[in-house]
Amino acid sequence: MFAYILRRLLHMIFVIFFISLLVFFSIRLTGDPAAVMFGAGEPTAEAIEALNERLGLNEPLYVQYGLFLKGMLMFDFGESFRSGASVATMIFERAGATLALALGGLVVAMLIAFPVGILSAVYRGKFIDFFGRIFSLIGISFPNFWLGIMLILIFSVTLGWLPASGYDGFSSLILPSVTLGLILSGILARLIRSSMLEVLNQQYISTARSKGIKEWKVVIKHAFRNALLPTVTFLGLQLGALLGGTVIIEQVFAWPGIGRLIVDAINQRDYPVIQGGVIFLAMIMVLVNLLVDISYSFIDPRIKAGKAGG
Amino acid sequence: MYKKKISFMLLLALMVILAACSGGGSSNSSGGASEADPSKNPAADRGNNIVVAVPSDPQSWDPIDTFLLDWSSVASSVFEGLVDRNLDLELQPGLAESWEFIDDVTVKFKLREGVTFHNGEPFNAEAVKFTFDRLLGDEGAKGPQQSNYTSIDSVEIVNDYEVIFHLNTPDPVLLTKLSGYGAVIVPPKYVQENTDEFFNDNPVGTGPFKMVEYKRDQYVKLEKNENYWKEGLPKLDGVTFRFIPEASTRLAELQTGKIDIMKRVEISQAQTVKDAPYIELKEVGTPTVFSLRFDPGQGIVDDKLVRQALNYAVDKEAIIDEILDGYGNPISTYQSDLSFGYNPDLEPYPYDPEKAKELLAEAGVPQGTELDLFIPGNDGNFKEIAQIIAYYFEEVGIKLNINNADPTTLTSELIPGGKAGHLYRQGWGGWTLDFDNTAYLMYAEGQHWNPSFSDPKVEELLKAERSTVDQNEREEIFMELTEVLYDLAPEINLYQEVALYGANERLENFQPPHDDRFRLEEVSVK
Amino acid sequence: MAQVQVMEKKKSTFQRSWNFIKKNPTGVLGMILTAASILAAIFASVISPYDYAKANLKDRLLPPSWADPLGESVYLLGADQVGRDLLSRIIHGAQISLMVGFMGVLIALVIGVFFGLISGYFGKWLDDFIMRAADIQLAFPFILLAIIVMSVLGTGMWKIIIILGITYWVGFARLIRGQVISLKEQEYIQAAKAIGGSNFTIIWKHILPNVMSSILVLGTMYIAEFILLEASLTFLGLGVDPTIPSWGGMLADSRNYTTTAWWTAVFPGIAIMLTVLGFNLLGDWLRDRFDPNLKM
Repeated sequence: MFAYILRRLLHMIFVIFFISLLVFFSIRLTGDPAAVMFGAGEPTAEAIEALNERLGLNEPLYVQYGLFLKGMLMFDFGESFRSGASVATMIFERAGATLALALGGLVVAMLIAFPVGILSAVYRGKFIDFFGRIFSLIGISFPNFWLGIMLILIFSVTLGWLPASGYDGFSSLILPSVTLGLILSGILARLIRSSMLEVLNQQYISTARSKGIKEWKVVIKHAFRNALLPTVTFLGLQLGALLGGTVIIEQVFAWPGIGRLIVDAINQRDYPVIQGGVIFLAMIMVLVNLLVDISYSFIDPRIKAGKAGG
Repeated sequence: MYKKKISFMLLLALMVILAACSGGGSSNSSGGASEADPSKNPAADRGNNIVVAVPSDPQSWDPIDTFLLDWSSVASSVFEGLVDRNLDLELQPGLAESWEFIDDVTVKFKLREGVTFHNGEPFNAEAVKFTFDRLLGDEGAKGPQQSNYTSIDSVEIVNDYEVIFHLNTPDPVLLTKLSGYGAVIVPPKYVQENTDEFFNDNPVGTGPFKMVEYKRDQYVKLEKNENYWKEGLPKLDGVTFRFIPEASTRLAELQTGKIDIMKRVEISQAQTVKDAPYIELKEVGTPTVFSLRFDPGQGIVDDKLVRQALNYAVDKEAIIDEILDGYGNPISTYQSDLSFGYNPDLEPYPYDPEKAKELLAEAGVPQGTELDLFIPGNDGNFKEIAQIIAYYFEEVGIKLNINNADPTTLTSELIPGGKAGHLYRQGWGGWTLDFDNTAYLMYAEGQHWNPSFSDPKVEELLKAERSTVDQNEREEIFMELTEVLYDLAPEINLYQEVALYGANERLENFQPPHDDRFRLEEVSVK
Repeated sequence: MAQVQVMEKKKSTFQRSWNFIKKNPTGVLGMILTAASILAAIFASVISPYDYAKANLKDRLLPPSWADPLGESVYLLGADQVGRDLLSRIIHGAQISLMVGFMGVLIALVIGVFFGLISGYFGKWLDDFIMRAADIQLAFPFILLAIIVMSVLGTGMWKIIIILGITYWVGFARLIRGQVISLKEQEYIQAAKAIGGSNFTIIWKHILPNVMSSILVLGTMYIAEFILLEASLTFLGLGVDPTIPSWGGMLADSRNYTTTAWWTAVFPGIAIMLTVLGFNLLGDWLRDRFDPNLKM
């Protein structure tokens, strides 16, 4: 197991290195930051030169990339072109908001998906199943910005229960979490239902039933545990969506998360912030995916982590 | 089959919810804003503090780093210039009590005494000199503002409260440039003793409010400057600016009383704001104009006749009345009526599709010719306008392909690079309120914003206009220039933007700014 | 006699259909909804009551005909921001949304299933390599990829489809791989190997059928998701051109009209919802049918 984790850590470094290459060179295809930063101004050639000098964009590309890599080792991504602030600081300022939204969304998703998924599987073909499926589908049937705006209209404007936006205490977390959670729960509930069904029909469950073990005990003890595997896979997969892909929810609710930081930076061609943000998210994602893979071997003993190699 | 019924009922329920939400706005309208009980105003519990929502965070508050309108919305309360451009766009004394032009290239400013910066530093001649040395020196060269002030050669200190500006060329718009952006006065000791990064986040000026807290991408908190030099002002205890990118969210915050002023009410939201209780809609003409600009380097639009024809083909009045609900004003050249150089005698090209067809035939343009239009993909309102224009073009036999582009790419790469099709949408602020800035950047050969337009007469007039500070002479030149440009039709001039603000009724003396620069020192609450 | 027999036969066909519906209500509902959107897409130009493309300023934002107090509107679902019949645009919008959904999923599926199968089956360095590529893809934000591609190549429907396809192959690959790893330890696969079955035969005959249900479930899920992502891209300013009637684009562009012209936002929303619902229900049902374990 130890050797396996070590090998995976090496893979991680390879992945991060590759992403650093990708992000570094691909954003340089999108245009000149000086042109964006001068905006409606009338930059002279000297002004652009001076700016490029300050931003370090006059160095040859491999030197710039080398500096980027060197800084990365110390978690130093340089300074934002726009604010002059340290990128690492900017990211850490956002980490709390991003984490809060991700966890909030996850909690809402699980609160909805586990009961709905399990009940629909157990009462397959019954009314509960049908209702549960429709319910869990509502969330993934609307674009997220639309869902967010609707929730604001209902719970802030019409009912006046919750704040429409901002990052200010628990009450401001509810609407964005519900928006994110509804979207995730639709997919999650389906997956749980599917895998529960698969397991419920397997031989050993029937055996357990025939032994007279109570229905719910069977569900919880045998089926549920086996249904966790695809759930965990799914959560690993969705981590990207949870951390970086929530940009639209962040925009609707004026939530100061990392996703919005990166997208604003892209729109401003603020290279250091894009690079830092993407690498930071990538590190977390790769790490969590590693944890997911390791946890496979605990949840499903049939998979021998070392042998499976993935 | 009961299952199907249930899903149908769910859908129905959903529609009812949606309809209820949509009805929410209009059902309140019967209440009527003016009859509402002020004590129930949801914003009342903030007392003498107000909250303003603006769409974006400029990221750096250093005046030399920015050109963003949202910067000036906030920073106009923190910083001041020597000259003050008031809410009616008149120039008046600011930190300078008076000034006098010694000759075309020498201006003497008498500074106001007894003014201090928020950190206690005194405002004096040294601060003025420091500010402009910084702006025009290496520090300023790294930002977008320096290029606006290159006419200033140096600032000379006469005594503590007198400075002389030496110009290297006459600059007719110097005074209005001194009223904002790069020319606002910064405290020398504070700037020198702290890092750039610190000053970016913790700006200090002489304005009516001082910045006490800045949370990036969330809000800035401003507090009353007790030592403000204008007697008895400001009236408010504090102002918080929140950054809320999405217009529908800003509106929700305004409706629920969480904010007092909403910047950028969309035209589609105007009716809702009008109908909601405790809120009023404020409209104000801006210097910003929107046009479809031709790139004469592309195919058939290098022909003046074609450009004129397409001008006749579009019913701009209908666009303003219908799509903009009247919140826009017609323009005949690429400037607003707030701009010096605006020609009141020029009428916009009338809507005359027959004439358009004639001109197209004369130019030898076959029916069904295709043209490409590039617009920024995030402007919902302009997408509507673009489609209406496509309709008008079709009526005269031209097929218009509308291309969405990433907004940043469009303005920073495609337009300057001549890669934005035959026509592209461009909005232009013209913040100096003088056609000089706009005309030079748009029509002078080789300019960043001018991919291919060139005309010897225009070039000549631009040179003539820049070589004099005699305003009458300049105005005459501009009248001729606008006529030449009108005939050459380098764009289809659509409209001058009318900005919409939503404001809570508890505010008194709130006047929306023409130029995005909020002036809140006179504002109070009921 | 003969006549009676025919009658009985007819009745039994009817009876069988009825039983089928009763047994598979969700599947039938899914089929109906999916079929409706597909038919709308195919016959869009035949069934649309009005021209979907031509703007008509006079009719701007006319409410649905049944909700118009002035009685000016002839449009069943109202008119949009530039006076076009909303119903016709929604019908034509099915073409765009289904195109984005189907083609995007097709690209993601072909890439993802291929790599998932060989990754899970062969393991070792091949698995390592493919899974690292997947990690890289996963860690590279979708929005960033979209903006980079579109700022270099411009916007457009096919660019959206390709971006979706090359981003979401990972979902298929990882899911399939996980299942293959589970499957190949099973006795019958081991047995097939032992009697000398070729790798190709084992994958094709024994493994692929077993992962089909997952492919279908994920595929339908992604079709729905892609339709919505197209809307998200419009929200960010990267959508298809406004003349093209895409549901997502219609929703994104009408989001400020929710209180003044609700129909512009509600009906495209319902169209998306019904279509997504249809695909999901159908996918679920197909899964039940295909999965051999469930035929006990």
